Amino acid sequence: MTGWLARRSVDAVVSAAAAILLLVALVHVMPGDPLAVILGDRPADAATVARLRERYGIDRSLPQALGDFARGAVRGDLGIALSEQRPVTTVLREHVGPTLLLGSLTLLINFTVGLALGLWWALHPGTMRSRIVSAATVVGYALPTFAIGMVLVWIFAVELGWLPVAGSSDPLLPADAPLSQAVVDRLEHLVLPLTTMVMATIAVPIRQQRSAARAVAAQPWVRAARARGLSPVVVAWRHCWRPALTPIVTLLGLWLPMLVSGAVLVESVFAWPGLGTLLAEATVNRDVPLVIGAGVLLVIAVQLGSLLADVLYRVVDPAQRQP
Amino acid sequence: MTRTPWGGAALAAALLALAVIGPWIAPDPLLMEAGTLLPPSSAHLLGTDQHSRDVFARLAHGARVSLTVAGVAVIIALVIGSTVGVIAGAGGSVLSASLRRITDLALALPRIVVLMVLLAALGTLPPLTFAMIIGVTGWPAIARLVRGETLRLRQAEYVIAARALGAPPPRVLWREILPGALAPAIIAATLGVADAILLEAGLSFLGLGIMAPAPSWGGMILESRDYLHAAPWLLLVPVAALVAATSSATLLGEALRRFLQPDTQ
Amino acid sequence: MTPLLEISNLRVMFPVRGADPVVPVDDVSFSLAPGELVALVGESGCGKSLTGLSIPGLLPTGALLGPATSVRYDGAELTGLDERALRPFRGQRIAMIFQDPMASLNPVMRVGAQIGEAITAHRRVPRAEVDRRVVDLLAEVGIADPASRARSYPHQLSGGMRQRVMIAIALAGEPGLLIADEPTTALDVTVQAQILELLDRLRVARGMAVLLITHDLGIVAGRADRVLVMYAGRIVETAPTGPLFARPDHPYTAGLFASIPRLGGSAARLSPIPGTVPRPDQWPDGCRFHPRCPVCVDKCTRERPLLLPIERDDHLAACWVAQGNVA
Repeated sequence: MTGWLARRSVDAVVSAAAAILLLVALVHVMPGDPLAVILGDRPADAATVARLRERYGIDRSLPQALGDFARGAVRGDLGIALSEQRPVTTVLREHVGPTLLLGSLTLLINFTVGLALGLWWALHPGTMRSRIVSAATVVGYALPTFAIGMVLVWIFAVELGWLPVAGSSDPLLPADAPLSQAVVDRLEHLVLPLTTMVMATIAVPIRQQRSAARAVAAQPWVRAARARGLSPVVVAWRHCWRPALTPIVTLLGLWLPMLVSGAVLVESVFAWPGLGTLLAEATVNRDVPLVIGAGVLLVIAVQLGSLLADVLYRVVDPAQRQP
Repeated sequence: MTRTPWGGAALAAALLALAVIGPWIAPDPLLMEAGTLLPPSSAHLLGTDQHSRDVFARLAHGARVSLTVAGVAVIIALVIGSTVGVIAGAGGSVLSASLRRITDLALALPRIVVLMVLLAALGTLPPLTFAMIIGVTGWPAIARLVRGETLRLRQAEYVIAARALGAPPPRVLWREILPGALAPAIIAATLGVADAILLEAGLSFLGLGIMAPAPSWGGMILESRDYLHAAPWLLLVPVAALVAATSSATLLGEALRRFLQPDTQ
Repeated sequence: MTPLLEISNLRVMFPVRGADPVVPVDDVSFSLAPGELVALVGESGCGKSLTGLSIPGLLPTGALLGPATSVRYDGAELTGLDERALRPFRGQRIAMIFQDPMASLNPVMRVGAQIGEAITAHRRVPRAEVDRRVVDLLAEVGIADPASRARSYPHQLSGGMRQRVMIAIALAGEPGLLIADEPTTALDVTVQAQILELLDRLRVARGMAVLLITHDLGIVAGRADRVLVMYAGRIVETAPTGPLFARPDHPYTAGLFASIPRLGGSAARLSPIPGTVPRPDQWPDGCRFHPRCPVCVDKCTRERPLLLPIERDDHLAACWVAQGNVA
């Protein structure tokens, strides 16, 4: 297991590094003059232009650009964000927290409520309520994330006025407000983005858990377990739910990219000050170093997720551990 | 879940009609004269927006843009993805080995990240170029699917039989393996139409796709933001269109799966 | 002697909307004495497995029992009992092993734990005692190094070892009856013989009755006390093993014998029964074997033959021709 883990970790690091360098190379070979973005409408003389070209490394060859980026990245330096003229890593650090909060809560709800609903659905086929779940997940697949968000904003923030429209906290809240007030404020701001994220992603775990549980319930070992005289609860947990975890864990690795793209749009809808909003704004501003920086974090997150999924896969499925 | 493809097909037909015929019968989507934020009426079926433009006209033109972008993107992804996938799955050569590596690498990059990086480097794009980059970022998923299917089919008995009869390898690949491997790719591509529509709308919503004043569903949703209370139809109309488009693609894809691969699920 | 298991008029039905129910097991009656080994033989699709599953109430969802059906174990009526009331019978009095020993073991549980849960399913047993009995049971079914094998997962064992584990699980509840549904079909021929040997030995050692369900008449010889031959949902012949092998009365049984390869017999004389068992919703009238029967007469197509003694009191066959009643 440890040998495998080491190999798999090296593999993840190599994949992430290669993918990141691919991003850098992609930008490098694209047409488009970064100087136009930096200068904007300001007039510049030839000397200034030359200085800027030097400073932003515009005339480097591809290997040179990749080498410089890699050297910087190893030292934790991802360059300077064009729009803010601050180090990319500093800007990123300010936006990681809100995204982690939103993302981890979404995963948590998917894994608890989503899996429970899926299991319930598998155990109660054909009832009216299970048909409602079924229809809801079909619609959930097709729902555009940001559209859900906007509709929720319209209903709960604009029309009903129950919840704030956007942001992660009330800017008018005094800095010395009691903690309880700050927490309530933060929760109020969380409700709509979190609901949107969950609505956009929960269909997958529900359906996956259902089909996994149903496939397992049809396995001969479940009948064999009943033939042993075990109680229905033991049969359901030990012989149905537990083996059905294997396909669920495999999916975990696939959910993360989905969460990432969902986050970009949902955060933008709610002006949630996370990496998604940052990425969208940076793209609008054509701030390439910042976009690549956010991309680096997301690539690493996705690789970590798939590594974690592989590890869990081995934990839940003994046949994957050898011998 | 419905067992027949008719629901999805009817929805898709209605949207295609909207995209093809709609712009002919609707007024100019850029015309500003009727009065701002008028609710739906007989003169303006879906009302007007903040610039007095007819919402139905913008919806119909937006449908044309949306479906064209999605169609072009999916065809590009399907062509690149199946070619790469079949060659990578055929194995043997240096080419297939390197294509396999490249596919794995591309799969490690979330699609939205690649799109953002490209858009940041290139700036705003005309619709067709925009469609192309959506397509170009969509091939790895299809390539992985086709590669897996090709690997599986190479071991299938009818393919081994063809090889045993002395058919040359490229012929086996072209005549025996490709048609089989294409079925899941076509299913994935149909489902991928929904993804492409959502990406186009999402990026337009972020101000990165189809640029105002040209009509697009994502752009309409973005613009509705400041008029949610005064004119909620500005939000609800394009959202309904988006949901209809993505559900019809999903339903059609599922129906296609049941038709082409009745053995799965 | 009172029978251990007594089944009468067993009918298994699957209701069909807007049509007659499908009846894959139709009016089956037989009994087992304590310690007896009875073989239930027939081609696949003739209702043997459903007969076996119906005894501990493990029929698939949707299946119903006929109103006249009675399944009595040691005098207690099992039909009509719910899951809760059936639990004390399952494992503890009636144990079952199945055809596919890989799929019948939970892949994510160590085999020792699966044997252990069969021990604790019906009574409180201290942890250490459970562990000890798991090892004893594994040793009893002939697994070498039982203590370390108990910590194996199913995928780490061979097919024969998995079936031995299944038998150990079945023994854990110390049942009076073991239903073995095609226990050797998925195994290699050499392993088959070992498993059958083991079953036979355990039956004698524990005084346990065994209902051996198989499609293979060849494995019955020399082991079973009696044989029940089943075709298309009905029992068509029953006799002690010796007389049956000496002279099968039903043409279907004769056909099964003719399709067993024999040492010294030439391949040309191997004559399988033509055709296959029809689907349960397409069973013919009269004697259900008549479309495939080499000696079929007109009466066979119209009237159902009853199971009646032929020459010996304990040798019964449901065949008009064998009964000499073709008028």
